[in-house]
Amino acid sequence: MNILITILEDALWSGVAAVGFGVLFNVPKRALVYCALVGACGHAVRALMMTQFNMGITTATLIGALVVGFMSKFIARKLKMPSMIFGITGAIPMVPGVFAYQTMISLGEMIHQEPGQIAVSLGEAAVNGVRTVALLGCLALGITAPTFLLEREHPVV
Amino acid sequence: MAVAADHHSHKPQLDREALRDVIRLSLWAGQMLLQYGADTNRVEQIIHRLGTGLGADWMDILVTPDAIVATTINNYEFRTKVRRAPSRGVDMTVIAEISELSYKVQAGKMDRFGVGEKLIEIDKRPHYNRWTVVLAVGLACAAFNRLFGGDVATFAVTFFASSAAMYVRQWLHSLELNTVLNWVITAFVAGIIASLAELLSLSPLSSTALAASVLLLVPGVPLINGSEDFLNGHITNGLARSVWGAILSLAIAMGLSLAITTMRVSGL
Repeated sequence: MNILITILEDALWSGVAAVGFGVLFNVPKRALVYCALVGACGHAVRALMMTQFNMGITTATLIGALVVGFMSKFIARKLKMPSMIFGITGAIPMVPGVFAYQTMISLGEMIHQEPGQIAVSLGEAAVNGVRTVALLGCLALGITAPTFLLEREHPVV
Repeated sequence: MAVAADHHSHKPQLDREALRDVIRLSLWAGQMLLQYGADTNRVEQIIHRLGTGLGADWMDILVTPDAIVATTINNYEFRTKVRRAPSRGVDMTVIAEISELSYKVQAGKMDRFGVGEKLIEIDKRPHYNRWTVVLAVGLACAAFNRLFGGDVATFAVTFFASSAAMYVRQWLHSLELNTVLNWVITAFVAGIIASLAELLSLSPLSSTALAASVLLLVPGVPLINGSEDFLNGHITNGLARSVWGAILSLAIAMGLSLAITTMRVSGL
């Protein structure tokens, strides 16, 4: 029961985050509620995978992004709108924003350090940088996989 | 007219004026797509769909990070045009409307005059009220604070910090300030306000307010689109978008570090 409340709370706040960024991205009004739904489901599935199935953040993000990708395709066909509206906005709660700027902060710390002390900052920068890249790759793969799988056709362009 | 090696099927002959409109309109649509956050594949596909829908036999399209080159071909006549498309942020309404328009043209439901009128209409699309955006973004960052494990006090501080920061970001944008500088200053403002959580001893979790308050600046769309471009084989465009994302992340880090030093708080 406790788990259910935790996951539902996670979904609620992820949905709010997705809608907020949806407004920033000028998403059409009738699509906003679907952005909330996609964002909430993606992030909640990731949280579920990490807390209940002990998955690492990268695998969990890939699974969450696949949920976002398939839901976006389905909703896009129903509403006759491009899937990227729901895919990008729905993925926003999972974007590794903190990792991205922490990488840069760790790099910045190195400016004032002696060569002997630099190992800690360098290590932090490396770990955060690798996480940022890995998570972004998983996000992109998850969102585009449905297109790769469902719409295989010879490129027209 | 004698032509060597003719193996293409041709559509009805377009005069030069019609061919001019085909390239002008399809490039205009592509320019808006690229400026407002579409990935490279989508830009290519929609320009192609519009151009061939308006009567071209074929379109050859080169999408670079901030300009598009296209050649439209019809019965051995061709016209080529370059169009600049510097980034203008993200606008999903533009992407939705132009995508819908391209399917209508493909189905033969709209001619070039209709497309021109529709593109002018899309250019004047409605926006959310600026205060709605300020509050929505503030709430979104506060929601992130909850996801990071913050409490009620850090939620409130994040909401105020991010809303104020969004207001500053819009204001600096209206002054046509350079985007990187805008990002540094906005992150600084967000960091200064979020530091109050620690300075006023509002919460033991004060660092979560600091971490969440600058999330309105995270370049999520360039970073995701960059990775999608890599996956689709558009390596140069993917690189350009990813590097732009890294530069904006660096700007956030600079503004935030400056705020942490100024306010003498413990940081993240």
